[in-house]
Amino acid sequence: MSPALPAAGAKAGSRFEPAYLAGWVVLLSALVVSIAPFLYLFSLSLMDNQQIFNGTLIAWPVRLANYPEAWVATKIGTLYWNSIYISGGSMIVTVAISALAGYGLGRLEFFGKAYIYALILIGLTIPIQIALIPLFVNLRWLGLMNTPLALIGPYTAFGLAFGTYIMKAFFEELPRELEEAARIDGANDFRIFWQIMLPLTRPAIATISIFLFLQNWNEFLFALTFITDSSMRTLPTGIYALISSEFYGNYGLLAAALVLFSMPVLILYFIFQQQFIEGLTAGALKH
Amino acid sequence: MADSVAVHRAVAAPARRRHIGRTLTAYAFVGPALLVLCAFILYPAFYSLALSFYEWNGFTPEWGDFVGLNNYRELVRDPVFWKVALNSILFVVVRTPIEVTIAFMLALLLNQNIPGRSFLRTMFFVPVVMSLIVVTLIFQRILEPNAGFLNTFLRNVGLGAFAHPWLADTTTALPAVIFVSIWKNIGFSLVILLAGLQGLPQEVLEAARCDGANRRQLTLQVVTPLMKPIIGIATVLSVIGGLKVFDLVYIMTRGGPTYSTEVFATMLYRHAFDLNEMGIASALAVIMVLVIMGTSQLQTFLLRER
Repeated sequence: MSPALPAAGAKAGSRFEPAYLAGWVVLLSALVVSIAPFLYLFSLSLMDNQQIFNGTLIAWPVRLANYPEAWVATKIGTLYWNSIYISGGSMIVTVAISALAGYGLGRLEFFGKAYIYALILIGLTIPIQIALIPLFVNLRWLGLMNTPLALIGPYTAFGLAFGTYIMKAFFEELPRELEEAARIDGANDFRIFWQIMLPLTRPAIATISIFLFLQNWNEFLFALTFITDSSMRTLPTGIYALISSEFYGNYGLLAAALVLFSMPVLILYFIFQQQFIEGLTAGALKH
Repeated sequence: MADSVAVHRAVAAPARRRHIGRTLTAYAFVGPALLVLCAFILYPAFYSLALSFYEWNGFTPEWGDFVGLNNYRELVRDPVFWKVALNSILFVVVRTPIEVTIAFMLALLLNQNIPGRSFLRTMFFVPVVMSLIVVTLIFQRILEPNAGFLNTFLRNVGLGAFAHPWLADTTTALPAVIFVSIWKNIGFSLVILLAGLQGLPQEVLEAARCDGANRRQLTLQVVTPLMKPIIGIATVLSVIGGLKVFDLVYIMTRGGPTYSTEVFATMLYRHAFDLNEMGIASALAVIMVLVIMGTSQLQTFLLRER
């Protein structure tokens, strides 16, 4: 991290200035506002309906029964598994295709390069709604509704712009000498890409992977439209379907299911947060 | 003369062959991306454009009747469409300034050398990472009229008169949805602005400080002007995100009560899958693309002017 602005806290004596304390008050209230809803959810997951409808805020005595019940009622094991291989599968395909395209656009000169890059970048702004009806119609026609492919294809396509963008920027920054040395040794473009350049882009790949995985994991619209068979659903739409059926009005159970649902994402985020935040800022700032 | 032609040929032919070879290699690298792009984005985009000129229920194997611009005409005559346009404008015009302003204030605070700032940054970003379905269901519980957190709190502190069915009232539903979307997105703008602050040229800030600028002057007259492009980027991203919003509205209110929270994306979904009007829904998709592309072009243009 680069050195901080020479603002409050720079001088030892400024610690107790009113402005410094006011800054802390603002930061801590913002922290409470952004975290409290999750604590509330956690608390709800430990209560029964009677406590919830009495307006109880803090669960006491703690009721753990919601968790095993939610685990069984949601068939959350199936939902986890579907989400994992659909999010993971499209993540792997996107990273592979983005790495290839990023290398081509970042290090090779060829006819129509600028237009192709512009075309790929369209995916950054175009709303996914433009593809909703055509994909729905065609997937149904091909008999691919309710299959993993129905989501992996579109997720790959709409993650491609971000992936290619980051990979291209990364490949461009690698030194020319590496490539020239390899070329003198007789390596062709594919070998240079695979054996020399790609291993150097590991940080970019980590960033793209974690970002795309979480994005796919949370995706709702395509998953809602292309998957109607309950055993094929991913987590967001699986949970959504349960709100109106089994869980209707049973808030403790629903809250427990939501906590179970969020756990993998939170764990992933806390492990990989550096890559995740870097990915976002790199994507946004290099425009 | 003849010699030089022969020499030219001898040199040019392999060079051209090499050139073609290199182009082919390059297309082998970008080919898979182009293929996926065509199959899942470009082809569907043209399909939607074409379908927007037809009246089709989505069930018959053929596309139904060609109706020209009728779908667009019908939308323009539909008061709900204008309500939706107004909601989308309100969504963006209310959300973005609040989101970016608060995020910038927090970013300025977090850019100081304070203990625990990376912890704070991590925590502020949690709402961004969380699935919208979790966020919306929490807020549905918080805003629930009888035993929801907000109303219970208001009653307990003696402000029971303000207790309200927030999401069921046409006047408060949209503000409530906008509030939740701000809450969800602030961390995103914050992280972008913070990265921008940390990338500012230290020499300039140092020089300003040597010239005797105090903290307020430094923030208002040096840092903020330098940050204009980054604030611009955060604004563009928030506006585009706001125009695309679907899940949040769909799960929280389904566009209701009586269209008071309906936005382009939920209207599109309703026409396509509840009313089976694929033509109208496609026309809406085309309008969405035009609005979003137009807005982002306009913003890029305005940002470049400065």
